[in-house]
Amino acid sequence: MTKKGIHIEGLSKRFGKGDTAVYALKDVNMQVAPGEVVGLIGPSGSGKSTLLKCLGAVIDPSAGRMTLGDEVIYDDGWKVRDLRALRRDKIGFVFQSPYLIPFLDVTDNVALLPMLAGISNAKSRAKALALLTALDVQHRAQAMPSQLSGGEQQRVAIARGLVNQPPVILTDEPTAALDSVRAMAVIRILNDMAQKFETAIIVVTHDEKIIPTFKRIYHIRDGVTHEEVGEGRAFE
Amino acid sequence: MKKLPIQGRTLALLAIIIPLLALFIYVGLRSGPLAPVAVTVASVESGSITPALFGIGTVESRYTYKIGPIFAGRVKSLDVHVGDQVKAGQVLGGMEPVDLDDRVRSQESVLKRAEAVLQESKARQVYAQIQAKRYEQLLSVQAVSEESVATKKQELQVANAELSVAQADLARAHSDREGFIAQRSNLRLIAPVDGVVAVRDADPGTTVVAGQAVVEVIDPKSLWINVRFDQINASGLAAGLPTRIILRSRSGQILKGSVLRVELKADAVTEEMLAKVTFDNQPDSLPSIGELAEVTVDLPALPTVPLISNAAVQREGDKVGVWQIVDGDLHFSPIKLGASDLNGYVQVLEGLNKGDQVVTYSEKALKVGSRIHIVDRISGVSP
Amino acid sequence: MISLAGRDILHAWGKFIFTGIGLGLLIGVTLVMAGVYRGMVDDGKALLDNSGADLWVVQKDTLGPYAESSSINDDVYRTILAMPGVAEAANVTYLTTQVHKGESDVRAMVVGIAPGELGATPGWPPYLVAGRQITRSHYEAVADIATGFKLGDSLAIRRNHYTVVGLTRRMVSSSGDPMVFVPLKDAQEAQFLKNNDAIWQSRQRTEANPAFNRPGVPGLLDAVIASQNTNLSVNAVLVTLKPGYAQNEVAESIQRWKRLTVYTRAQMEDILVGKLIATSAKQIGMFLVILAIVSAAIVAFIIYSLTMDKIREIAVLKLIGTRNRTIAAMIMQQALALGVIGFVVGKITATFAAPVFPKYVLLTPMDSVIGFLAVLVICILASIIAIRMALKVDPAEAIG
Repeated sequence: MTKKGIHIEGLSKRFGKGDTAVYALKDVNMQVAPGEVVGLIGPSGSGKSTLLKCLGAVIDPSAGRMTLGDEVIYDDGWKVRDLRALRRDKIGFVFQSPYLIPFLDVTDNVALLPMLAGISNAKSRAKALALLTALDVQHRAQAMPSQLSGGEQQRVAIARGLVNQPPVILTDEPTAALDSVRAMAVIRILNDMAQKFETAIIVVTHDEKIIPTFKRIYHIRDGVTHEEVGEGRAFE
Repeated sequence: MKKLPIQGRTLALLAIIIPLLALFIYVGLRSGPLAPVAVTVASVESGSITPALFGIGTVESRYTYKIGPIFAGRVKSLDVHVGDQVKAGQVLGGMEPVDLDDRVRSQESVLKRAEAVLQESKARQVYAQIQAKRYEQLLSVQAVSEESVATKKQELQVANAELSVAQADLARAHSDREGFIAQRSNLRLIAPVDGVVAVRDADPGTTVVAGQAVVEVIDPKSLWINVRFDQINASGLAAGLPTRIILRSRSGQILKGSVLRVELKADAVTEEMLAKVTFDNQPDSLPSIGELAEVTVDLPALPTVPLISNAAVQREGDKVGVWQIVDGDLHFSPIKLGASDLNGYVQVLEGLNKGDQVVTYSEKALKVGSRIHIVDRISGVSP
Repeated sequence: MISLAGRDILHAWGKFIFTGIGLGLLIGVTLVMAGVYRGMVDDGKALLDNSGADLWVVQKDTLGPYAESSSINDDVYRTILAMPGVAEAANVTYLTTQVHKGESDVRAMVVGIAPGELGATPGWPPYLVAGRQITRSHYEAVADIATGFKLGDSLAIRRNHYTVVGLTRRMVSSSGDPMVFVPLKDAQEAQFLKNNDAIWQSRQRTEANPAFNRPGVPGLLDAVIASQNTNLSVNAVLVTLKPGYAQNEVAESIQRWKRLTVYTRAQMEDILVGKLIATSAKQIGMFLVILAIVSAAIVAFIIYSLTMDKIREIAVLKLIGTRNRTIAAMIMQQALALGVIGFVVGKITATFAAPVFPKYVLLTPMDSVIGFLAVLVICILASIIAIRMALKVDPAEAIG
């Protein structure tokens, strides 16, 4: 149990009431340390998406406890008033599809998050550019998302997830559409970023190509998680 | 600084938005009630106008002779047709004499009888005279009584009287006969002057009443035009003025004429002055009686004064004047107008000088303070 | 913070402009319809203004001369001229008929104007755009350019031919027919005398009537025919007043002493606008309301669908933590920008389309201002509905 990172105990989520109740999550226990990249693996219908949504403060869990860094954000009820600010400042999202805003250029797509937090445009763009450089897409900084390849878009999405330096990043199938070379590249980047920014990263995936790289894996089935030790293979 | 792709897009958008806005502002300021009014301006010229009076008239014959009987009767014959030339005294036709001939003959018999009676009376008077004389002679030798002489004298007087009566009777019979002959001559329709037959009102066999015209004769040399002028625009109309005449059926031809007289009696109902205009030279082919003619009477030219087109005359409130451009501003100047001619020029007696700029045509009614802009021609009017 | 609305517009500028133009045409049509309505009312007012009269004297108990036919003797004006306060009194006739030029004809209102002092006689066209005023007492005409006639054209009205010597603009009857001004006597003849065939037949009938064709009275038939063929009536007398006299008072005195009906300018306007064109105006007014409602609905729909097109981006924005306020502002700004573009295009379209209409279309600045405000209000209301939809979006949809 570390003080930073993300720490989940006994999380459950029930849809419906009484006889027709469905438990998407029954008993979820996870912890991820800052700088750590863990995998979250499970078949469809196992509650992966629901877990992500709970972690992302997009839906309300039914019971349990979530701690983010020093702050208890959920304890049988949200302890944080502004969920939006929570999402904006403390949680990063990287989706299967990049979901970039089509009418903003690459830099502004990334810079949007610090701008929403009140940081000046110039500073926001500087931050964005730094991350884009780290992810090696800075040469596309002025392009519109539609002009980028899939891999480039994904990297921009990752940059967006990282730009506010949130303590935790949730990623959902970030490599599903990529070939093995690129998939490796993404996983490497995620590890690099996690180390650099001391971010805890949860990767929901069932991509065989990257699963061996995780040092720790959480399996989820029928709403319950099991921890496992992963291979922790090095990157090629 | 942004790089090219975005700038391109922004430029494209601006290329649309800016002209659109410019057009919008143009539309707002230049059309609708806010727009300045287009006007044309002319300089006041000095000139002398020749006013003219314009009237419409009908061609009439100066004298129309309607020839007809003075008694009711039946038309017996009509020997002339419309268009025939007739001479003074020519018999044109006649009425049925009915019993008039018989009456003349009977009257002649009466006359003869009266003559016979006269002869008889004469004879008796001569005899009576001789007797009276003889008895007087006998009285002087006392061969007969005084009573016989008196009787013979009385017989002489009676014979004288009878002679007078017979003479009077004869005279009366003459007069009666003259009368019947006169009546019979009235049965004849006689042309009073040389002329042309204009109308045949009744054909032979028609019964006409006394005074009804059977045939109308006109003197073609005496054609004139009876012209009507609006009283308001007839000042200066006087006898002797030259005129130009255009007959309706000959609209290309201008004939010359002059005003013969201005009628003393005007038409009070239609408010028109009447005048008679004659042709200077008789036209080759006679115009029809009743044909319309446009008559323009030329009045003498007036002295040179400032002139304006009558289109420039406006009314503002209760004053008549023009809109003048003074130092680029619109200004209403009341003026006093004088005579005008038929081409639309009117004299300005007071209020304007030569060279003043005056608004002639405008797109809208002008008011004090209207914004104007000067054009050569109002839009919508082709040259 | 960048402007999300601005960026979106810049990105999809083609669609935006196109939509704006479509919207603009709709708004333009609505503005033109309002202009048609105002034009109808203005036609009535123009008719009254152009006659230059303060009072209209008509046949007793009629609404004439425009709303109802009125016939008075043409010497009545002399007695009116003598009344106190009267500056000018002039006869006038109105006849709506076909005016022929060559083979074509045009429906026009032929106005008979009385001869009088230049500039001071009511009934004469107050201003010209070309040519000159009538100077001859017969066979000259001043026509409105809406008839299509030019200077020097020869017009045929009933049995006479007239030469066009002057042109006017905006001289129309209350139903929008252009006016042709001719001398009064010619107009009286036109109003009364029919064509040659009818005159000939009427003469035959009179000759056949033994009461008129008496042999003992030779001149009777001619006198009767002559009286049948003269017209001594006019439709109204136009009166201008001396300064310092009130319209109502002078109208009152004429009405009382001359047993005629007299209308002031305000009363004539009431009659024209309130009675003559009321039904048509209401018709157009209703259509205008319907058009405005339809336009509003379409604007609302367009804004709604523009928002719905972006629903996924909105979900993502919400997910990454954009405030509701920001999203709402984006939608509303776009709606207002669309409204402004639409209005600009609409106003331009309306201005260029207005002269093309056969009758007068009057676009007033006040109508434009009201239209602009209405467009803005509709855009705001429509965007509120769209915003509600947007804010209800579940950001969870962005995630699988």
